[in-house]
Amino acid sequence: MDLNRLTPVEQANKRRRWTRFLVIAALLAGALYYLIFENTYVVAYEDDRRHFMYGSIGSEIANGLPYWVFKALPVLYQEELGPKGYRRFGFLYESEDADLPIGVSRRIVQGIERVWLNCAVCHVGTYRESPSSDPVKLYGAPANNLRLYEFIQFLRRVAADSKFTADNVVRAIDSEAVGGDLNFLERALYRYVIVDRVRDGLLDVRNRLGFLDRQFDWGPGRVDTFNPYKAIQFNFPMDRDHITEIELNGSSDYPSIWRQAPREGMQLHWDGNNTSVAERNLSAALGAGVTPVTVDRDSIKRLESWIWDLPAPPFPKAAEIDAGAAEKGRKLYAYYCADCHGMGAGDGGYDYDTARYGRLGRVVRLSDIATDRGRWASYTENFAAAQNLLYAGYPWRFSQFRKTEGYASQPLDGIWARSPYLHNGSVPTLRDLLEPADNRPALWYRGGDLFDFAKVGYRSDDGAASKVSLFLYDTSRPGNSNRGHEGAAYGTELDAAGKDAIVEYMKTL
Amino acid sequence: MNSSPDTAFLHEDNAKLIFSPLKFRRLEAKNRLFRSNLSGMFDDYNGHGGNARLNWEEKFAKGGVGCIISSYTPVAVRGRILTRYAMIDNDDKIPFWRAVGERVHQYDCKFIMQLSHSGRQQDLGGVENLHKKGLSSTNRKDFFHGLLARAMTPKEIAEVVEQFAQGARRAKEAGLDGVELHGANGYLITQFLSSGINDRTDEYGGSWENRARFVLEIVRAIRGEVGADFHLQMKINAVDHNDWLYPWVKKGNTLDETKKICRMLLDDGKGVDAFHISSGSTFPHPRNPPGDFPVLEALRWYDGMLSQGTRTRFNYWIFDHKITASLFVALWKWRRGKIIEGINAAHAKALRDHIQKVDDSVKFLCTGGFQHANKIAAAIREGACDGVTIGRPLIANNDLPEILRDADGPTENRACTYCNKCLMNDLENPLGCYELSRYPGNSFEEKWDNMIAEVMSVFEPPTFR
Repeated sequence: MDLNRLTPVEQANKRRRWTRFLVIAALLAGALYYLIFENTYVVAYEDDRRHFMYGSIGSEIANGLPYWVFKALPVLYQEELGPKGYRRFGFLYESEDADLPIGVSRRIVQGIERVWLNCAVCHVGTYRESPSSDPVKLYGAPANNLRLYEFIQFLRRVAADSKFTADNVVRAIDSEAVGGDLNFLERALYRYVIVDRVRDGLLDVRNRLGFLDRQFDWGPGRVDTFNPYKAIQFNFPMDRDHITEIELNGSSDYPSIWRQAPREGMQLHWDGNNTSVAERNLSAALGAGVTPVTVDRDSIKRLESWIWDLPAPPFPKAAEIDAGAAEKGRKLYAYYCADCHGMGAGDGGYDYDTARYGRLGRVVRLSDIATDRGRWASYTENFAAAQNLLYAGYPWRFSQFRKTEGYASQPLDGIWARSPYLHNGSVPTLRDLLEPADNRPALWYRGGDLFDFAKVGYRSDDGAASKVSLFLYDTSRPGNSNRGHEGAAYGTELDAAGKDAIVEYMKTL
Repeated sequence: MNSSPDTAFLHEDNAKLIFSPLKFRRLEAKNRLFRSNLSGMFDDYNGHGGNARLNWEEKFAKGGVGCIISSYTPVAVRGRILTRYAMIDNDDKIPFWRAVGERVHQYDCKFIMQLSHSGRQQDLGGVENLHKKGLSSTNRKDFFHGLLARAMTPKEIAEVVEQFAQGARRAKEAGLDGVELHGANGYLITQFLSSGINDRTDEYGGSWENRARFVLEIVRAIRGEVGADFHLQMKINAVDHNDWLYPWVKKGNTLDETKKICRMLLDDGKGVDAFHISSGSTFPHPRNPPGDFPVLEALRWYDGMLSQGTRTRFNYWIFDHKITASLFVALWKWRRGKIIEGINAAHAKALRDHIQKVDDSVKFLCTGGFQHANKIAAAIREGACDGVTIGRPLIANNDLPEILRDADGPTENRACTYCNKCLMNDLENPLGCYELSRYPGNSFEEKWDNMIAEVMSVFEPPTFR
């Protein structure tokens, strides 16, 4: 018998206290859940360029690697990557002891700091004047060093590698080279949850991107934009029965991203498949690893406004330009090139006037331009239809993607910094491009950043960099053709002095 | 109605009307001034009456009222609202009430016992009820204090009906002049009558006829015990205003429903002899007793109720914080309205007009802040009632009838201020007027001493001399 029985009011209050406790506990749990598992945290940068280099666009949420795993991989695979680590893949670092490469951002997701790519990884280039000089960074230029194919293949190998175990990863994190300072909880999470989940994710990527094994290496400074997109965003079948070898090898050079304001309304992407800068940007962000539900639109809008007016870098040796030759070249350029590409304005800027230059920003039929068809073929009508379903339900749903008939002619502002040339980067210098295809280099090296200021473009001889870091570009392989953009109308039949003059002029753009 | 002095009549006319006899079917009071039911925790804990109760009732009889309606008198200990209220739950209480009647009758004053049952609205149920939930029509707790409730079974309903009947019998045996059913202000009978409270699905809930079944059974049971000749009246809310605190709570009974219920309780001439009109389905309620809400007094004396309900701590927190207390007081005044004296008169007139068309022998009393002759006379003259019941103004001035004989009302510094401090003090202190401003004295201490002397006068003369 309970001699201390509570009164009905006391019992009700006791129940209410419990209810109150449970409600408060539920609210706290909900708040914690939101703060840890729903909300994400990023480092913000006041400076727009630093935001471009390190700011998150949301790629870490669905596809990122945990920070410590990213740091541990070069240690765990030191034999394969060597002492340069991710530099091996052409990732750029601001300094020797920089923590992360340019183009790799951080975001805390579900309580774990993750890292992954942003726009800068593909849009910062470098050049050097001599083997002994320091590389100069070109922000917004094509990432001439980046070997994305090799990086992806490395991760695909890691996924299935017996060395990639939780114990080994944690050991690498603990190593002096990484200097991980995991606390008890983090260590347990990495040991029992995170590494296994990373492997699951990488295995998925490995399987989806299985077609990479059938592709030729894209090489440094090049990316297959749309085939991985098909596989990852839409699960398109990528086997031999569904995709031809031509469509499969559609790699192209990274583009520059400066001066976007005048490009609005032009046909963008190499094949001109979209006329909206904003849509093109959101689509490109998907390539960096964001998804329609994890995209950080505010961050991308900030980048968008930064590249809207970002000026093209001036030619480094402007003082050495031969003014007489350049003036002669200007006239030739105006005659041969300007209608498709626009040209310099009188005030030193660039004239993007599509009313004056009728074919600027428009697609030139493939039969006319006659450049390699791989990139054009890789973008299909089915794929365009699928793309136009992306972001369904949002005001920014894609609607502009179209299959075109060829490649788009582009403004040539800062063209000196966009080497090699043609959409697939098959021609090393501007001077080479003015030669008929037969006279252009058929087998040459890319991957170095030593610059040839005379011919305008990265050096393509085997002395351009150490042999190890050079990539032999074979124009006979599918997707690599250096043909097209030739003939009398393209100036390739001019005499050498005329061609030199055009190149001299193009240094001023 | 009655919002301004009626200047069409001289005070002599008003006094003549007020001091004319009020004839019920079976009872006659010498004037139209009734002391409303005022309690005070003066008695033995177990419900036996005490000497102070005799003194208390004598004060008003001596003051000249024509009739006293007793304190809230529980018909069972389960139905008490506060401890130390004299009860009528057993024949052993008859001698005490006989003594009360005799004491009052000395002054040619009639005495009506108010038969009451708290239901769930049990502010301090005492140790006897500590482990019991209040009996009610519903299982839902009251929204103000959070006083817990349990819906009565038909058997329990029958038992309570019988308790009322036996209470009436005892009152008659004690030589009292009549009984009143407390069917207003949120107590058990209201809990059955009110559409805002009664959520039963049996024959005691739903339609107004079903909700009134409980009180009709009580009326008939009382008639069965005391016969047709014993005065029986019913205190009832004209309108419930059950949503005064929380607008999402159901409003309760309207005037039209009350008209129908009153008509039913006439029971073809065999039912009640009079109605006593009030309002408000809780106690207290902004409209009853109409006046202010004394926050400081609540902080001092509401603490005793903290253990009694599930919302009392919340209420106390409201009273204890300046902003919330100010908001509560503002709400209280807004829900009350501007009229205090005669607050129920308009509704009473509507009910009286309706009932007297059927049976003009049924009389009406009206409560609500009356203390001026012109207001009282106007209410009677305009047909709102046949007499008024007075509570707080009589606590302030026990001799109010004598004052009204010669003047329109008490002088300004002696009039009841409707501060409701008496109400709040009743939870822990002897019932009396605690409005310090009314007491003579040139200092706080002087005024305080005079106030205490007046309040404690209820214990004089003492039990043993």
